[in-house]
Amino acid sequence: MGAAVKRQTQSLMLLILGGALLNISAFSSTYVNYVKPGFRPLLVGAGAVLVILALASFIRQWRGQGDGHDHAHDHGPRVAWLLAVPVFAIVLIAPPALGSFAAGGEDDGPAPRPPAPAAFRKLSDGVPQLALGEFIGRAYDPAGTSLAGRQVRLTGFVVPSKKKNLWYVTRMQISCCAADALALKVAVRGVPAPRENSWVQVTGSWIPWKGKIPNGYVIPDMTATDVVKIDQPAEPYE
Amino acid sequence: MTQGTPLDWPGAEDHLPPDSWGRGPARESWLPWSFVGLVALLVAGRFLLAPHLTAPALQTWATIFVAVCVQALPFLVFGVALSAAITAFVPASFWTRALPRQTYAAVPVAGVAGAVLPGCECASVPVASGLMARGVAPAAALAFLLASPAINPVVLVATAVAFPGDPAMVVARFGASLTVAVLAGWIWARFGRSEWLPVPRRTAAPGHGKWGAFVDAMCHDLLHTGGFLVIGGLTAATLNVVVPRSWLTSVAGIPVVSVLVLALLAVLLSICSEADAFVAASLTAFSPTAKLAFLVVGPMVDLKLIALQAGTFGRPFTWRFVPLTLTLAIGVSFVTGWVLL
Repeated sequence: MGAAVKRQTQSLMLLILGGALLNISAFSSTYVNYVKPGFRPLLVGAGAVLVILALASFIRQWRGQGDGHDHAHDHGPRVAWLLAVPVFAIVLIAPPALGSFAAGGEDDGPAPRPPAPAAFRKLSDGVPQLALGEFIGRAYDPAGTSLAGRQVRLTGFVVPSKKKNLWYVTRMQISCCAADALALKVAVRGVPAPRENSWVQVTGSWIPWKGKIPNGYVIPDMTATDVVKIDQPAEPYE
Repeated sequence: MTQGTPLDWPGAEDHLPPDSWGRGPARESWLPWSFVGLVALLVAGRFLLAPHLTAPALQTWATIFVAVCVQALPFLVFGVALSAAITAFVPASFWTRALPRQTYAAVPVAGVAGAVLPGCECASVPVASGLMARGVAPAAALAFLLASPAINPVVLVATAVAFPGDPAMVVARFGASLTVAVLAGWIWARFGRSEWLPVPRRTAAPGHGKWGAFVDAMCHDLLHTGGFLVIGGLTAATLNVVVPRSWLTSVAGIPVVSVLVLALLAVLLSICSEADAFVAASLTAFSPTAKLAFLVVGPMVDLKLIALQAGTFGRPFTWRFVPLTLTLAIGVSFVTGWVLL
């Protein structure tokens, strides 16, 4: 195959990659499974640049203007084929948001991002909906026990436990992309575990620490009174 | 590197005939069909294969792999665009005026200049390569390459947010990263050989116009670095899924080993430098020095970056430069941690 055909294949690669990027960011919201929601404009921009660049390159070749200096390193074109791998992964595996496999099993694991205690307001009346990170932060809040005796509602997916009468309501926390995800878990007692990986809304109250706040990181417990199955939230990560 | 040295490979531009020779219309006609074929393959696969590819380990692996690629691509596109703009629009004379003539003086200047590029490490590789192609001394471009992802404002703010009430960590990260970058640049200036780091590319071909050169350079770089980004993403995702996090906590208490383990973890995980502070902060069992090593090593040496560097600068360069940087980063982290934290 001539250099020109090779170059057209390469432009095709860019076009498909840009299309896949636009497809998960501009035309659907699949991208929230992989990165923070704030990334959307960046992804749309990058996808658009890739598509425009591929088209510009096609036009240049069609008009016979393409430069011929690619052969300076011949391994370049070959490695470019790899750009198809993420496209195939996106389309064929359609990777979902990280679930119970990534959240791991029993280990207490690394602590979540340190919460800022100053940010905690008084809990609103009724049964407030809390993010798992806030629940854990309040459980570890040295200033007081804002959770004590309060009914709260948590949203997450189900991670089973080997321990009896216990499962974890879990949410992954990401700061940039799914590669840096940490599992936020709260142990749920008092209700049977729903199906693994299903999304639920748990209503219940925190079980206070026996004695002092633990030194290392220990998963906080709650007694649940009610579990409702829900659809996966629009933003799967916290 | 000046133009016309043997490293510019004179003649590489014309040892093959121009595109137009022997290019018949018949060869082009397969292209639309191959596009249709590929899309049809993907659509068919979506319905036939996707329902069966649901093993949790495979899905987790794919999510992390796609996440690494998707997250890095905008920065890569930005870096490649900047690099192409540098080659196409900024005259070479600008750099000789902007940077000190002496390489040893240019290295720290370039390192500090890294503070102004608000990107992660994926952007800095193509930019450094563009700088070299434009005649900036390789040692100075390398100092920029190492410093930029670690000490830019976005990363420093992220570090301050991740370590609330601990400004020493931000100072230590800035100081240690800049020191490593400058030392690595100086060592390369002193001992590096030009045949390890060929700068074969792109002295904007005359007669094509600046926009043409821009489009060509960007396509070429994107395909090239993008391919290597995929290699890095594949390895990082695999190790992310395979290496259990639980063995980490078991070594957290051992003084020197814990630092080395977190440095190794930074290499394996290949987390973007804008996010690594949050991960470091979550490793509560480890000493501040170990966390600092994680923050200093990560933006300079990781699997994704090694793949990108090997693709951009060649393997002879990479297998010398990566161990040098890693050793320096760990050593400087030890010293900084001992002094500051």
